[in-house]
Amino acid sequence: MVRLRRIEGGELPESDAIRMAQQGDAAAFERLYQLHNRRVYSLCLRMVGNTAEAEDLTQEAFLQLFRKISTFRGESAFSTWLHRLAVNVVLMRLRKKSAAETSLEEVTEPDEESGGPRRDFGGPDLQLTGSIDRVNLQRAVEQLPPGYKAVFVLHDVQGFEHNEIAEIMNCSIGNSKSQLHKARMRLRELLQETLRDKAREDRKAAGAASGGEE
Amino acid sequence: MSPSPCEEFSKHLESWLEESHDPVMEAHVRSCARCNALVEDLGAIRATAFEWAYPEDEPSPSLWTSLRAQLEAEGLIHVQTTSWWDRLTSWVPSSSRPVLAGAYVAILVAVAFAISGPGESRLDRQLWLQSAENTSQPLQQDLDLAEQATVSTLPQSNSPVTASLQKNLAVVDNYIVLCEKSVRDDPQDEVAREYLFDAYQQKADLLAVMSERGDYEQ
Repeated sequence: MVRLRRIEGGELPESDAIRMAQQGDAAAFERLYQLHNRRVYSLCLRMVGNTAEAEDLTQEAFLQLFRKISTFRGESAFSTWLHRLAVNVVLMRLRKKSAAETSLEEVTEPDEESGGPRRDFGGPDLQLTGSIDRVNLQRAVEQLPPGYKAVFVLHDVQGFEHNEIAEIMNCSIGNSKSQLHKARMRLRELLQETLRDKAREDRKAAGAASGGEE
Repeated sequence: MSPSPCEEFSKHLESWLEESHDPVMEAHVRSCARCNALVEDLGAIRATAFEWAYPEDEPSPSLWTSLRAQLEAEGLIHVQTTSWWDRLTSWVPSSSRPVLAGAYVAILVAVAFAISGPGESRLDRQLWLQSAENTSQPLQQDLDLAEQATVSTLPQSNSPVTASLQKNLAVVDNYIVLCEKSVRDDPQDEVAREYLFDAYQQKADLLAVMSERGDYEQ
């Protein structure tokens, strides 16, 4: 059968694509975009939880990448460099947003470690095993401070190692570990609070149902 | 005062989660409901986060179009406007048949319009379309003659190969018609021009195969 194909970047290796993109080759830019767009978009989406905003941030990250590509000398992995740009773009957006959205009440009692409001998690600890799903987790991650959120998504969701996160976030490995630990502990508190809310609602509903029966 | 076993365990929690289990801590976790629940909860969070990674999401295809337009606007991408001749001549196979060579030349000149495309303005577009029409009409006649001559060299037998070549030629001709319509509708559409270029290239390749087969059979 006659072949009906397009001239594509094809299987151009990443290193060649980088070199050609540094000379302004359009196909090389497209190849680099094809290689990394899903991973960068997934990172943005998990950080902001909104597809339109995630696309906007992905575009911004790639724009910055391509503007600076002539300066890339290969000291770090290309993917790490790209993720550093992407995380910076997302963090700047999140910090700008949280500064605009923070209420006066929250500003008066900031949490020393996160910069966010300290919440009171009262009540008994509920076991999370078997009770959490992606939706619960996503909602809890959305409530994390930007720095915690970035380290958690990079490590526990995207599978980066602490040494890579340290490069991406421009921090020490120890700092990356400590941020991740705090993020997980905060998530646990947030998820337990969700479970307690649900348990309270279930009790109310059960009470209303039994009251209606009497 | 020495720290409680639970306080001691909390210091080792990070390494514990990295699968490095100290036997003393392991014994404590087994006997302490609070620390056990903590380990279980953090394990559940990690497992759910791992599941959350898949499937990887994909941005809409329009994102690259938009990004590319921005890169072009900033001058970061070098758009090829003058090197089409190299692209065209790169796929012309050597042929001793003058009629086929004529067909290639006709195709080369015709597709020059498809590759270069019009300028940004409305006037450029009109001029480009008019120029393309003026050039392509006589070339199309030459091309038709060359095609007839090439097809006539094919053996008159009903061999499956001959039938397949002629069928493929008809498919490519239909494809060229569609591509030309797309380019006429939107001469600025670079993808449409690329497809048209590919279509012409496929026709030239096919004519070359047919011509060689005609030589072989005769």
